Amino acid sequence: MRFVYKAARKRKKSGSDHPSARDLQPENPQHPLSADLNENRSILESIYADCMDVVIRDFLIAGETKALLVYIDGLSNIDLIDQHVLAPLMQASSKPGDTDAMVQTKVTVSERKGLTTFAELIEQVAKGNPVLIVDGQVRAFAFGLAKWDKRGVEEPVAESVIRGPREGFTETLSVNTSLIRRKLKSPALKIKSIQVGRYTRTSVAIAYVEGIAQPALVEEVTKRIQRIDIDGVLESGYIEEMIQDYPFSPFPQLLTTERPDAATGALLEGRVVILMDGTPFSLIAPATLFSLLQSPEDYYERFMIGTFVRWLRYLFFLFALTAPSIYVAILTFHQEMIPTALLLSVAQSREEIPFPALVEAFLMEVTFEALREAGVRLPKQVGAAVSIVGALVIGQAATAAGLVSSPMVMVVAITGIASFMIPRYTAGIALRILRFPMILLAGMLGLLGLMLGVILIVVHLSTIRSFGVPYLSPLAPMKGRDMKDVLFRAPLWALNTRPRLTGDSNLYRQAPGQKPGPAKGDEHG
Amino acid sequence: MIERGKISAFQMAFLMYPTIIATAIISVPTIMASHAGQDLWLSPIWASLLGILMVVTAYRLNKMFPKMSLIEYSCLIIGRVPAKIVGFLFFFMYAHDNGFVLRQYGEFLIDSFLPETPIIVVIGSMVMVCAFAVRGGVEVLARCAQLFVPVMLLFLVLINALLLPELDPSHMFPVLEKGLGASLMGSVPAQGWFVEFIDIAFLLPFLTDREQGLKWGIYSVFAVMLTMIAISFVALFLFGTMIDSFNYPVLTATRYVSLADFVQHVEALLMAVWVLGAFVKIAVFYYVLVLIASQWLNLSDARPIVFPLGFLLLPLSIWVAPNLQEMSAFFSTSAFFYIVSIKGVIPVLLLVIAYVRFRFGKKRGDKG
Repeated sequence: MRFVYKAARKRKKSGSDHPSARDLQPENPQHPLSADLNENRSILESIYADCMDVVIRDFLIAGETKALLVYIDGLSNIDLIDQHVLAPLMQASSKPGDTDAMVQTKVTVSERKGLTTFAELIEQVAKGNPVLIVDGQVRAFAFGLAKWDKRGVEEPVAESVIRGPREGFTETLSVNTSLIRRKLKSPALKIKSIQVGRYTRTSVAIAYVEGIAQPALVEEVTKRIQRIDIDGVLESGYIEEMIQDYPFSPFPQLLTTERPDAATGALLEGRVVILMDGTPFSLIAPATLFSLLQSPEDYYERFMIGTFVRWLRYLFFLFALTAPSIYVAILTFHQEMIPTALLLSVAQSREEIPFPALVEAFLMEVTFEALREAGVRLPKQVGAAVSIVGALVIGQAATAAGLVSSPMVMVVAITGIASFMIPRYTAGIALRILRFPMILLAGMLGLLGLMLGVILIVVHLSTIRSFGVPYLSPLAPMKGRDMKDVLFRAPLWALNTRPRLTGDSNLYRQAPGQKPGPAKGDEHG
Repeated sequence: MIERGKISAFQMAFLMYPTIIATAIISVPTIMASHAGQDLWLSPIWASLLGILMVVTAYRLNKMFPKMSLIEYSCLIIGRVPAKIVGFLFFFMYAHDNGFVLRQYGEFLIDSFLPETPIIVVIGSMVMVCAFAVRGGVEVLARCAQLFVPVMLLFLVLINALLLPELDPSHMFPVLEKGLGASLMGSVPAQGWFVEFIDIAFLLPFLTDREQGLKWGIYSVFAVMLTMIAISFVALFLFGTMIDSFNYPVLTATRYVSLADFVQHVEALLMAVWVLGAFVKIAVFYYVLVLIASQWLNLSDARPIVFPLGFLLLPLSIWVAPNLQEMSAFFSTSAFFYIVSIKGVIPVLLLVIAYVRFRFGKKRGDKG
């Protein structure tokens, strides 16, 4: 083992510019455990050299057999190790025969796993599970005594709803899977685990409902995640960027959510949910443009309100993209469209402005974006100060100084509000970026430029697919049956079919004809 | 196979509708009225017969050679060398025709909205946008059409509904004052538009439900006919027999829109919506052109020639006519014969020859 390490190090030092994947692997994975405890110990010490948080504890089982316990300080529950592993083994009176039997009878821990290679050992230790190695045995044991400080389940910050569950995913994978499992109790919910990242060894879980999700989709997601070969994944954004279909698109091709209810809803629609250790944000594949514009709350409120809110969102989605460019186009090229009275007041407010509308719009939009970005990064203590300054910059003072006209301020404000209406933050980012070329086009060619920009965006959106699903479906290509959940939010008793993603398996999600009504025939109640 | 995408017959109908109607809507009432007078609304009915003929021809040919386009099966029908000549004629026709469409588009926008912008910029920007769509293939075109056509129709209906108070139906009387002949004469230039339905000969091979192709093709012809009748009525009721003195009667009509002193001068809105239709039309022509060129030259991939052909279309759109007047004159006189002789007569001849050779002769037609 040690010589493997040295060889690897030497190769690295000899300095090829493109080290092969194997060179970068921290250790040889399949090296088996030896029966000699001292050899195991020295290998472990070389693996964990300079790791002050790794504890390698010698002790004697029943005062005779030498044994080692390896764990990471702070990741394992030391109280329980003392109580249920060390105490019973050290205080055992009988001579141990087989370690298996020993562990069976003495160690009172529910989760136990036998290991034969160093790779497995390292994995278990890294997870926080203490590993027991006994002299003369080639099999080691890991005990499920991991415990580390973690955040509790809290209300999701980025996706708040008024009516709906208040719990959100956390940074711990097992908590997240349990949150889903608690909502979806059928054993058809499958959760597969893959490790990603050469150094981070992050656990990534792929959840789907067997019988609803297309097997091909699950396979494709699994394949794409397995293909990832990077040193580390720190957030689900890493995975998203490595598995999406069109890397140069500004539009997100996977949904992100930190709400277990949204994730469960997606699972029931036949989508695949990708959960990851270390971030509360899970990914949902495939995604469509319209799924970005839906909020879980649409289904929790009455269907008419859900429909209304959806339409409002579609309208403001367009607004967020085009409002400043419409303003620039009309003011620069098509003044006749503005009713005379309004035109006069706009002209009056623009009288002192030194810039053309195009420059004005750019100025204001850039300032607004800067304020927004600053607002996110602000330490809480200075937040108030910046919001006051921001309000002045964008609002009253700028107008009074004659730098921007008040209609422009209004347009920027409406655009800002509109972009906050999109329930998925990532979709809003795409619009924020696209707004600038749109303003430029509108400033050059008026409404024609604006339309050309819109056409280009639509062309792009109809080109891209997310895991085989056209991004604009079910509108284009049109699938009449799925419109009920896009153009409206049909009442739940009418949402009989699942959306068609890539296949048609398990189409019906509920029994038909469940429209509720007053009981009939029971007149004198 | 150059195109890997698949569309449905329903999507094909959505593609064809703006392909015919986009330019027809702005100038056809004028052209029809110059021959038919107040009977112009009858002309689309006669003209649509040619549209149906083209759909049936394309469908029948496609039925004999299911996975082939017109360029490919003409090889089987009339032999290699004549087929290459036909292919060249079609290539030239589509390039020339697309030049006309681009020019019409450019002239319309320059004339009405962007008087100071060079026409090459207006046309060039559109060609660029279309090139991206064409590179995406037929699926992308169909999806765009599916999104744009409802929007276009919605706004057209809305704008025309706002015109209702201004309309005077008495302008249509006396009906058939000059007999059927006048409206038949008026239908001749309109047939120049309906003959474009031969485009489906290039789209049919990509259908997932080919047997529905005929049905949806004919629905599309009817939709175009009804739209033409509707805009003819609006133009007639608004302007009476003066229609033929306006270059763009529908555009002029929108100037009459005024609602509560607030919604007025919606021409720019009409233009914005019309651009969506024009985009589909130009993109479909462009796509068919690319398809013809790549099949004619037996290319394995059509993508590399998309941008070069777009670059070719740009000067072509300038060369097709010296000015708007000459172009309008061409369209109300000889364009019909020019377009129909290639896009109409050749496919019908091919169908006849194919019938004679493969149906009445030996049954060899079911290749491919």
